[in-house]
Amino acid sequence: MRIIGRLCDLSFCDLHNIQKKVNKTLEIVKKKSIINPCETNKKQRRTKMDKKALIELIDVTKTYDGENVVDHLNLTIYENEFVTLLGPSGCGKTTTLRMIGGFVQPDEGKIIINGKVFNDLPPYARPIHTVFQRYALFPHLSVFENVAFGLRNRTYDYLSHFFGVLEEKSDSSKKSKRDHHKLLNTMIDSAVRDALALVKLKGFENRKVDQISGGQQQRVALARALVNKPQILLLDEPLAALDLKLRQNMQYELKEMQRKLGITFIFVTHDQEEAMTMSDRIVVMKDGVIQQLGTPKSVYNEPVNRYVANFIGETNIFPGTYIKKDLVHFMGADFKCTGYTFEDGEQVEVVIRPEDFDVVDLEKAKLQGIVTFSLFKGVHNELDVKIGDVSIMVNTYETYEVGEPIGLTVDPYEIHIMKVESDGEVV
Amino acid sequence: MGKSFKILAIPYQVWLSVLVFIPLVAMVVISVTNLNSTVTLSELQFTMEHWVLLTQRPTLIAFRNSLIYAGSTTLISFVLGYFVAYQIFRLRIKNKFIVLTIVILPMWSNLILRTEALLNIFSENNILKSIMGFSLFGNIAGTPTAVLIGLVFTYMPFMILPIYTALEKIDYALEEAALDLGLTPMQSFWKVVFPLSFRGVVTGSILVFLPTMAGFAIPKILSKGRIIFIGNIIDTKFIYTNYNSGALLAVILLIFILGSILLMTRFDKEGETLL
Amino acid sequence: MTIKGVSYPVATLQEYGYRDYSKFKAVVKVLKTVLFFSILFMLYLSIIVIAIQSINASRISSSFSSISLTWYPNIFQEEDLMRAIRNTFLVSSIATILATIMGTFFAVGMYSLTKKKRQGLMLLNNVPILNADIVTGFSLMLMFRLLMPLFPNIFGLFTLVMAHLFFTIPYVILSVMPKLKETDPNLMDAALDLGVRPYKALIKVVIPAIKAGIFSGMLLALTMSIDDFVISYFNTGGGFDNLSIWIYAVIGRRNLTPSVYAFSTLLTLFTLIGLMVYQFLQRQKKGRKSGIL
Repeated sequence: MRIIGRLCDLSFCDLHNIQKKVNKTLEIVKKKSIINPCETNKKQRRTKMDKKALIELIDVTKTYDGENVVDHLNLTIYENEFVTLLGPSGCGKTTTLRMIGGFVQPDEGKIIINGKVFNDLPPYARPIHTVFQRYALFPHLSVFENVAFGLRNRTYDYLSHFFGVLEEKSDSSKKSKRDHHKLLNTMIDSAVRDALALVKLKGFENRKVDQISGGQQQRVALARALVNKPQILLLDEPLAALDLKLRQNMQYELKEMQRKLGITFIFVTHDQEEAMTMSDRIVVMKDGVIQQLGTPKSVYNEPVNRYVANFIGETNIFPGTYIKKDLVHFMGADFKCTGYTFEDGEQVEVVIRPEDFDVVDLEKAKLQGIVTFSLFKGVHNELDVKIGDVSIMVNTYETYEVGEPIGLTVDPYEIHIMKVESDGEVV
Repeated sequence: MGKSFKILAIPYQVWLSVLVFIPLVAMVVISVTNLNSTVTLSELQFTMEHWVLLTQRPTLIAFRNSLIYAGSTTLISFVLGYFVAYQIFRLRIKNKFIVLTIVILPMWSNLILRTEALLNIFSENNILKSIMGFSLFGNIAGTPTAVLIGLVFTYMPFMILPIYTALEKIDYALEEAALDLGLTPMQSFWKVVFPLSFRGVVTGSILVFLPTMAGFAIPKILSKGRIIFIGNIIDTKFIYTNYNSGALLAVILLIFILGSILLMTRFDKEGETLL
Repeated sequence: MTIKGVSYPVATLQEYGYRDYSKFKAVVKVLKTVLFFSILFMLYLSIIVIAIQSINASRISSSFSSISLTWYPNIFQEEDLMRAIRNTFLVSSIATILATIMGTFFAVGMYSLTKKKRQGLMLLNNVPILNADIVTGFSLMLMFRLLMPLFPNIFGLFTLVMAHLFFTIPYVILSVMPKLKETDPNLMDAALDLGVRPYKALIKVVIPAIKAGIFSGMLLALTMSIDDFVISYFNTGGGFDNLSIWIYAVIGRRNLTPSVYAFSTLLTLFTLIGLMVYQFLQRQKKGRKSGIL
């Protein structure tokens, strides 16, 4: 499976490298948002077929205390997709989310939704609803009334259009008006019940908000937003306060919900595993700038820089030299690689994921080292292997003793090569 | 906290019991007996003669006055006071302490002196008139309006503070949630902020209603003795050492007060909005 | 709107079903500000008048002759006034100090109780605060009267201090309790774990942690005590007048000395300055804390 997957990516990455050479001369010095060309190609193909741009952030900037929390951000989000903004605290992901929601005004740049400029529109007028980090359920209302809150406060006109029950124009007497209002109220009630059933909280209607658990509160917050049928749902780290098992369950449920409902979910988190599980696309951010934008697979397998490589999953990064085409030298040995084009003799950074090392007999191995540390992690073993002065991380299914010598090799298509970063930051 | 400190609470229990219950018991006893400084314990007898006072017209009028003025003051203080508390709450300045101090500062001046100052400017020839040439309030000294205005000016801060405390406790995310769900700021106020600040409203109302109803200094000064409150009658009884009937009235006031305290604690169990 | 060569329409409130009140908002804001400051002015009217009276050269309170500061030094000449002031400060200082100490310890004790007991005691604690002055004053007076056969000279300083203690201690407790609740519950255990005996730990660990609450409680007690009228009125004797009682007695007479106004204005200014200094110190402390980083 993996091999086939790799081969597919391979062809795109050929294109990627050709494009890279062409763009090198045209390269924008500012390096603001790095859109993975692989991704762009895929996207362009799909866009022509069925995806329409729903939200466009153009040069969006927000400054707090002289610091750019969000720095000239450019991002396009499509219909019916699950996008995650991923990054550590302070990277600007929550601020971006809040700007889309209307709670924060951008200092520069434009937010385009549905083809219109939304900058000055207050949050209540936007077809967007939010699930807040600490849920923000109204303590003075029951669960039912919390969920019904949005609909209850709409005009009867709006509700008529919302439910598709327009009033009969011929009969505008008071009685028929009252009947119509009663009908609308009944429809609100049934919509609320449906929403609660969708989040698996049937039967909780009359509970008070402080009588239910954290996980249940979270679902109420979700139902409260979804019952209004927004085009876009914003989720601000909603799973942060839940324990592990619950969080994992909710991740699957949210993904299912998004697929079923067909609306766009924009999710903010600092947990990369969460992002990988749920997203169609991940936006990796740091210091207000997009580091990489792509599918979970491409972000994991082809990080564009050291930061992304380190942030997503565990990784080993080696300094190396690209000797010539399909040959790279690092850790004192030459390795066959494939799919990259660099200058002959160029200094590069080599990224290899711990699970991509294969254990082989010592004689056949390109790399020979000693196991210095071994941790049983259930799914795999996490080993520290010392080769010379360098300690690398290796994941294996079999268990190896500490002190055991071990031979490693790595397949050519599992070697990922990155350009050396000028700032040489250690993450 | 170490459980060993429990015993520190015991002296307070004793203290409160002595100083709360004994005086009140004494008051109740005196109101229904003929106990006074001349009667010895052997001559002590249960009597309802003091209760005649309750049927007399001046007493009933005084009750009516106390209640009506207290109610009106509370209502006006609520409307204006909530407005002020809300404006302070919405201020974007970093230091709310200063604004709160400004609200409380008048309370640090002597009550009697302040009331007398008000009497001054409510009168025909007042000091502001001699400076500015015209009188702000006309000549309302001695009128019900003067008493009402004086009560509102004096007790409104007691309404402002608890409401402000209750407003500050509301999580800002709740207002954002309301906006997110399609409510305009005005709707969000009535449906979310106001209901959640209700605790403060109840506390504030009680803090205004009770002293207003039971007070006697302000009505006496501002109405020049013309409008009688329950407190004034108690005061008169005190001056003439007619403690029995005075105690009776005080007992009735007390029943009112206890009812209000119970009402307040139902909304705010640990006395959070009180301070 | 044109961005990067592409033209985008601007979204309006109307198309999403809302009305645009922004023009209204400016007018409403002005009205709100006017109303706000009017109300504040009303609240201050009386002390403004008092301040004006204090610099009024004429003794006649209804007319202003010229600005004069003579009444300020004159405070010290007025024998009656000075006596009343002295009495007030005497009673209030004793009551405040005692109330602060007692109140703090009582609060610690109450905090250690079970929730139910504590709430019950809190209910009792609120009674002096919420009870009308007149009922408290009157009933305390009756109780003291009952003790008169035993202590004939009870009315005076003693009854006054006792009465003041009664209604100030609850305020101290109300200030200290929230601070107690905010402290780390493990603080005490940490001290005991390190070998400190309970009562010493209390003084060395808990008290410093809640000193903000103690301080504000003390201020509150002082305020309530200095300004009290009704309770003192019913519970004093032997000619021991405090300031409020003295003013009440003197009020109708035409010869009320304007030095009273001067004193009151001084007190207000003093309080205001005190508060500002306190705020300034607080800000300094916070500044130092964040500056250390």
